[in-house]
Amino acid sequence: MAAIRNTLLLAALLVLLIAVPPFLGLGWQNALVNVLIASLFALAFNLLIGQAGLLSFGHAAYFGIGAFAALHLMIAIEDGFPFPTPLVPLAGAAAGLLIGLIAGYFATMRSGVYFALVTLAIAELFHSLAPRLEAVFGGESGISSMRMPWSDITFGSMLEVYYLTLAWVLICGLGLWAYTRTPFGRLTLALRDNEQRVRFLGYSTHSVKVIVFAVSAMLTGVAGSLQAISNETANYSLFASDVSAQVVLQTFVGGSTVFFGPVIGAAVFTLFSFLVSDLTRSWVLYQGLIFVLVMLYAPSGIGGVLQHHIRNRRQLDWRPLSGLYLLALAGGVLITAGTVFLTETVAVLFGEEYAVARRNAGGSLPAYELFGAHWDPTDIFTWLLPLVLLAGGGAITVSTRRHVTAFWNRGGGSRDTAARPVSLGGAA
Amino acid sequence: MRRIAIIAAMSAAALNTTALHAEPLKVGIIESLSGAQTSTGRLYANAVKYGVERINEAGGFNGEPVSVTEYDNAGGAPDAADKFRKAVGDGVDIIFQGASSAIAGQLTEDVRKHNIRNPGKEVIFINLGGDAMELTGQKCQFYHFRYTATAPMRVNAMVSAMKEAGELGTKVYSINQNYSWGQDMQAAVAAAAEAGGYKVVDEVLHDVNKIQDFAPFVARIKSAAPDTVFTGNWSNDLLLLMKAVGDAGLDVTFATAFLDQPGNIANAGKTALGHYIANNYDNAATDGKFAETYKKATGHYPIFVEGHSAFALGALQQALGKVNFGGGDINVTKIALALENTTYETPLGPISVRKEDHQTIRPVVVSKVVKNPKYPADETDMGFETVKIIAGDKAIYPVQDSCRMERPKE
Amino acid sequence: MEFAIISTLNGVTYGLLLFMVSAGLTLIFGMMGVLNFAHASFYMLGAYIAYAVSSVFGFWVGIAVAPVVVGLIGMAVERFLLPRVHAHGHAHELLLTFGLALIIEELIKLFFGDFPVNYQMPGGMRFSAFSIFGADYPFYRIFIGGMAVVMFTALWVLLTRTRTGIVVRAAERLPAMAEALGHNIPMVFMFVFGTGAALAGLAGAVAGAFYPTNPNMGIELGVIVFVVVVVGGLGSLKGSLVASLLIGLFSSFAVGLDWSLASLLGVIGLGDWARSFGGLMTLKLSSISATIPFALMLIVLLVRPAGLMGERN
Repeated sequence: MAAIRNTLLLAALLVLLIAVPPFLGLGWQNALVNVLIASLFALAFNLLIGQAGLLSFGHAAYFGIGAFAALHLMIAIEDGFPFPTPLVPLAGAAAGLLIGLIAGYFATMRSGVYFALVTLAIAELFHSLAPRLEAVFGGESGISSMRMPWSDITFGSMLEVYYLTLAWVLICGLGLWAYTRTPFGRLTLALRDNEQRVRFLGYSTHSVKVIVFAVSAMLTGVAGSLQAISNETANYSLFASDVSAQVVLQTFVGGSTVFFGPVIGAAVFTLFSFLVSDLTRSWVLYQGLIFVLVMLYAPSGIGGVLQHHIRNRRQLDWRPLSGLYLLALAGGVLITAGTVFLTETVAVLFGEEYAVARRNAGGSLPAYELFGAHWDPTDIFTWLLPLVLLAGGGAITVSTRRHVTAFWNRGGGSRDTAARPVSLGGAA
Repeated sequence: MRRIAIIAAMSAAALNTTALHAEPLKVGIIESLSGAQTSTGRLYANAVKYGVERINEAGGFNGEPVSVTEYDNAGGAPDAADKFRKAVGDGVDIIFQGASSAIAGQLTEDVRKHNIRNPGKEVIFINLGGDAMELTGQKCQFYHFRYTATAPMRVNAMVSAMKEAGELGTKVYSINQNYSWGQDMQAAVAAAAEAGGYKVVDEVLHDVNKIQDFAPFVARIKSAAPDTVFTGNWSNDLLLLMKAVGDAGLDVTFATAFLDQPGNIANAGKTALGHYIANNYDNAATDGKFAETYKKATGHYPIFVEGHSAFALGALQQALGKVNFGGGDINVTKIALALENTTYETPLGPISVRKEDHQTIRPVVVSKVVKNPKYPADETDMGFETVKIIAGDKAIYPVQDSCRMERPKE
Repeated sequence: MEFAIISTLNGVTYGLLLFMVSAGLTLIFGMMGVLNFAHASFYMLGAYIAYAVSSVFGFWVGIAVAPVVVGLIGMAVERFLLPRVHAHGHAHELLLTFGLALIIEELIKLFFGDFPVNYQMPGGMRFSAFSIFGADYPFYRIFIGGMAVVMFTALWVLLTRTRTGIVVRAAERLPAMAEALGHNIPMVFMFVFGTGAALAGLAGAVAGAFYPTNPNMGIELGVIVFVVVVVGGLGSLKGSLVASLLIGLFSSFAVGLDWSLASLLGVIGLGDWARSFGGLMTLKLSSISATIPFALMLIVLLVRPAGLMGERN
């Protein structure tokens, strides 16, 4: 039954993904392409941390490699090489697999923090060498190409790119999901939970890790080549540490212990940046705050929390619980409003424009405009408002949280079952 | 590239029913508004907004005020490509960008492809600060306009001004960042050796904004014993280099391109005195009227890139005055053609577009850091004093052979 | 010769600065097994706090206040934030500090802007210590190096020669046993974390007056500092001193050496052959000096995974 329902749910989602985009504007189509690419990237990344327990801080390397490989193939197609444009991501997959095998062989010799740092160093090596190797990476401005028509499709419109991306992400995503069901996929999980035992069972843990690493790098390469197809250019900044960081943030906010968790994180952050990044200069700060809050209060991520609720849905008395959740939501909205108000106020008061306004006002503190209203920084109300918002929201959230915890404890299921600790021992 | 014709034909077939759009003129700023180069990106955005306000004060365009939207490219080319698509989705007609040649390279390619695929819905890219030669060389295209000076313009201006002032010397050291801009600078310094009567004693390219400690480079400069050090470095790379040279007590004059970046003078302190800069604009080189107007509108005198960026908008305003769509559909190609034929009078002299590669022919100001200047920098007692203004026709260099511009069919 | 001597001096002083920052990081890792991604942000925070304080109360007050404030912030992080994720393992602790680094950087941009701020050493310290081959050697570089040496000595004495040091080391080895003996282990951890943060803050306050104080200084130094602690051996104070000096000297000398793989092959007569490949073969060492630390880190990890001085366990 559950399987049928899940299939139906997925089918409905698929229909939405196919049917809706033609009615969206170019900006939204583009945002959805980004969501899909980020989702595949995060899924591939999560194969390492969620399945094998290996935290990579340098996945940008394989993303970038995939993008460059795809572009070189696209340039060849432009020059007349007969190759169907829709299959370009195969180049990214091949390159990702190859580099993944080599890098993985070295990186997986160590685990824990060392593994994280080796991957970081490999990505940094690419990042600093790429601009110097012009033949391959095209200097700091990178290389560029154009999507060539294939049969009757020009690949000129965003919508065509969207469907191409969707097809690839679906195939790779389903492939990954099927992989976790295979005996080898199970072995990967065992590796995360108890490496020693796997070794005692007679498996070469190093080879298993190398294979998992290479598969992850291969799919990351596909994600990179999809971005190359969509952007039609790539430069060395694809290897930058913030590309690696972004996928870490997305995966963990979404939830690394649930298969589709990373997709949630990728969608949330990509859409968040699409909607907010041009409105406020502080959007990176908000992103950081969200990440830290998730780490502190829901370490299993959004996906983990959802899964936990779905699993326990029959045991739960939803009526009081939904009331509590609404209350918590209200508290969260208040806190958010207070935080945003304070942050934007600080951004204004410490900004250059305000410094100029102060100088013009002879050193006093003139009123400033924010959210369509005027605020006087010397007025106590200006400061009381966010403080009241924060205090009120905080009080509501804290007390609801206590009730929710009590509720869950009464209901039997412990709140933290969804979060399996990921061991990352020191000099393991 | 040979199959681009196919795309153009297929796109034209698909789009020939599309009407030109009847909307207000939309301007997009795709800048580094977060990330490491935010400070510079913010200044470009300031200037563009200032310029658009002037256009709107004068009645806007096509019967409507010109709208302006900021897009944050977070300092990276992939994000810029993304934001370009978002801007196109919003119906932007003209995009502005300045901080980083790499991003300019990305945007000019995006614009080129967009215009091939969407005939009748073209987009203009006005480049305010991407100095890489390839933008008007290999990558040159009709819809890209560069409203800033390039490496040879700056170096030639500095060489002639410093030679006249007797401060050039005969031994020149060239230290630059290892990417297209730095390489352009290095080539320009080497090329100007004969005209300047100097010898390049050593040249070095180093990593871009990654080096914490420049003392080792200073040791290398010291052993070459130059009179003048030419550098296109910007941001930390310039500041750290100057401080390290100052700390070592070396007696060399710096010839720079970005010494006026906010914070540099204050941070370098006395070390900065006597060094040279060649750039597009400096308040002290003018009668001050523009600076006062700018201050009235924004609250501060134009600093760093704000001045010359505002001139690009001035040129656009003038070009817009030449076209009239009678409140109907906007034809971006016509605006581009008008911009090509616009000569804009700045307080320093005229700026015009060279049709072959869309590099602007523009004056270059050579200044020197002095004490108690007319316009102090960074709230210190130091600032820039004009040494010489090189007129546009003297500063310009020949069109690069690699530029093959395809003009729109008229 | 002249180049070699000056480069050695420069390499040593820069290495000592790296050590000042990496000391705190390695101390924390050695004690608690937490790789603190926010450590370089503490360094930056130190510089900004010193700047803010010194503009009102003078340079020395700034230098004194910054480490205290940063240390308190570090203690707060250890006391209130880390325990929440501790149950989920070291990966979550690392991720938490990673998020904190992001937030600190953005907050600094919010309050101080994106430009470098004008944080200067007092004029009285801006003189040359001595003159070498006709070039002045700034006193402040010696001052930074001196601070690092004092710090290393103090830490070493504290850890090996005092009773507090014995408790701290006991808490590192066998926390349960030390706790059973009546020592307040959570307190010890908080103290260690605070000290580590304060050291980074002090380094920032001292170095910020010499190098530019801007919102990128954390990231720029942070990656190098990671390299230092890995090369030195995570958790080994001596190791990070050696690695700091090594990387300082490497980056100082690489600048002056226009070597490439092609010129290396030229020794055995294959130079022209190698040059015909271009790319990696003709890259000059001087142009990739910033890459060297990462290559060094990879080599060390592969050859001697525990780091130069790390314990194998």
